[in-house]
Amino acid sequence: MDLRPVVAVVALVACGGHQEGARPAPGLEERVLAGGVAPSAGTTDIAAANPFKGDRPSAAEGERTFAAMNCDGCHGGGAVGFVGPSLRDGRWRYGGSDGQIYQSIFAGRPRGMPAYGGLLPAGAIWRLVTYLQSLEPPPNLPTESWR
Amino acid sequence: MGRMTLPVVLATALAPAAAGTAGAVQRGSWTMPANDYASTRYSDLREITPANAPRLRPVWTFSTGVLGGHEGQPLVVDNTMYVVTPYPNVLYAFDLTREGYPLKWKYRPPVDPNALGIACCDAINRGAFYASGKIVYNLLDGHTVAIAAATGKELWRTRIADLSEGETTPVAPLVVKDRVIVGASGGEFGIHGWLKGLDLETGRIVWTAYNIGPDSEVLARPGVFKPFYDRGEELALRSWPPDVWRAGGAPVWGWMSYDADLDLLYYGTGNPAPYNPEQRAGDNKWTASVLARRPEDGALVWAYQFTPHDSWDYDGVAEMILTDVVIGGRRRKALVHFDKNGFAYTLDRVTGEVLVAQPFVDVNWAKRVDLATGRPVIDSTKLTGASRGNIKDICPTLEGGKTPAAPAAYSPRTGLFYLATNNMCMDYQATRVTRIAGTPFIGANTPYHPGPGGKMGGFIAWDAAAGRSVWQTPEPYPVWSGALVTGGDVAFYGTLDGWFKAVDARTGKALWRFKVGSGVVGNPISYAGPDGRQYVAVYAGIGGDWFLLSGDVRSDDPADVRPPADFMPDIARHTSQGGIVWIFGL
Repeated sequence: MDLRPVVAVVALVACGGHQEGARPAPGLEERVLAGGVAPSAGTTDIAAANPFKGDRPSAAEGERTFAAMNCDGCHGGGAVGFVGPSLRDGRWRYGGSDGQIYQSIFAGRPRGMPAYGGLLPAGAIWRLVTYLQSLEPPPNLPTESWR
Repeated sequence: MGRMTLPVVLATALAPAAAGTAGAVQRGSWTMPANDYASTRYSDLREITPANAPRLRPVWTFSTGVLGGHEGQPLVVDNTMYVVTPYPNVLYAFDLTREGYPLKWKYRPPVDPNALGIACCDAINRGAFYASGKIVYNLLDGHTVAIAAATGKELWRTRIADLSEGETTPVAPLVVKDRVIVGASGGEFGIHGWLKGLDLETGRIVWTAYNIGPDSEVLARPGVFKPFYDRGEELALRSWPPDVWRAGGAPVWGWMSYDADLDLLYYGTGNPAPYNPEQRAGDNKWTASVLARRPEDGALVWAYQFTPHDSWDYDGVAEMILTDVVIGGRRRKALVHFDKNGFAYTLDRVTGEVLVAQPFVDVNWAKRVDLATGRPVIDSTKLTGASRGNIKDICPTLEGGKTPAAPAAYSPRTGLFYLATNNMCMDYQATRVTRIAGTPFIGANTPYHPGPGGKMGGFIAWDAAAGRSVWQTPEPYPVWSGALVTGGDVAFYGTLDGWFKAVDARTGKALWRFKVGSGVVGNPISYAGPDGRQYVAVYAGIGGDWFLLSGDVRSDDPADVRPPADFMPDIARHTSQGGIVWIFGL
């Protein structure tokens, strides 16, 4: 898998748009900041709709970002769950609407989910949302089917 | 089961309180993680024997109210049992003199919940240390606390680690004289690994010794630092590409030992970061190593690297057990270590020379360890790296031939070491990875499968002079519990499917077992109660790596439902999460 385009985006964003050590936006003071970079103010409405919903190239780009941003390190390859929760079981701790998933990535969550809003532009976050939404939960989770 | 031959191992002369830290405590106490500074996990109590062990029965249980993996072990001091839970790291003090062992007090610290997402492998804690009237332990979020053992009052609380850099602190401290020795996890987050020495009275950080980087930060001083196999300066800098060491891992999450006569503190370091070795050419010293330091100022005296340029996540943090061993007719001050990489090492603990290194499980990444150089003779077909594709069937897995989470025990009576083992192999697909502070820095996908024979674990007795096992008991699942051995020649361990077991230390014969409600990843202890009787205590509570690998044993999070582990599809048939303290007696 070639990660260079995504990494290049990170480098650009990390060097360009934000001041390190800038005061985090309200509500983000107690979040882990991915790369130590605080998201700028101006969070997305949780009612916002994913502009790329169902778009397969966007999902594929989101999948590359999922690896490049080390999301798989906590949520596992394919987002099946590892130290962090499964993101493909169709169940969401903090809400599963388009905007709520966006919020979880942009602003982080209080049990160690880093805020990526300082590293990733909105389009990259929406493509990550698109990737996660493209993962089909198994129709019958095999919690009671022993092999 | 082979004929029992007593190896030529002499009883260690190291007494549990040799350095006098614990002060006067009554016989039969358990004041530190491994019961003594030599890390033997040996109790000299002898009421429980192979003859009467079948009559063991539970005398008390307590739900901790926490579901995370219950690694570590309780302490018993002055007829009080102290229990540290996984996150949120509650400390319970139980009064063993009263009916039902009611709580004396409990201490509920503030702990940053972000630690849950920075800890690589469940929110575990490996236990506390009793010294000078204080219970000292680490909170997961990078703080060390000292609590008055009598009252539960917090005496000091020191920030030692930085979550935003990927550091968490599940390790159990070791207290030597007036120094509290602590380290940090984060080999999966690209930390710059270190060991710190705190002042026991105030919690002030007296010294910080990095495990990688320039000599000035590693505290490797000319004339003091004398590694057995290496020469020259800046070894922990020159064995890395420029600046790569700054995020090179070398966490400290295992166990520490101390030899009062030599005044040396021993501990192991974890994996180099990231798992993709092509991003860090060189030996990557001192990752996957054992280091010997002076506790007073942290000065490095010697170091030995078990796995140079580790390509398999073989952390070297497992316990260093200090005993005397006779090899070739010479009595040696030895250090015995069962590494994740599958080799059991017997080292000269004065110098760091390797005396014996033999595999204790199936190993195929290396053919042997060359005693002339101290280096493993590697099978180059098992070397990993992003450009090498998916390397198949490497034994053991990165869980280790033995996990460092489950420390071994040593009996001076039998001269044998007792340990839980894993029989699993892995495929290893390394990928290029970018470090982003506060996020994982791993770079490998490593699915597991059962090793030769299909039984995924075992419990064995090991002769460290000969470098071979004396008996082995296979287990269906990987075994993730520490070992205990007693003066009555009974050894204890627990299993992932929730059995707590007693075996004859001389023969391995099964004596007794009890289903404890959840898989065991903790370490049994033995102590004398106020009635003078011998008791054995252990935690139940599956977790640690099994929280990640067999997420279907969970039922606590309706927003996190997972399929079973493909290499162990039926473990949830036998256990689910749950934190329980058990006490057994006759």
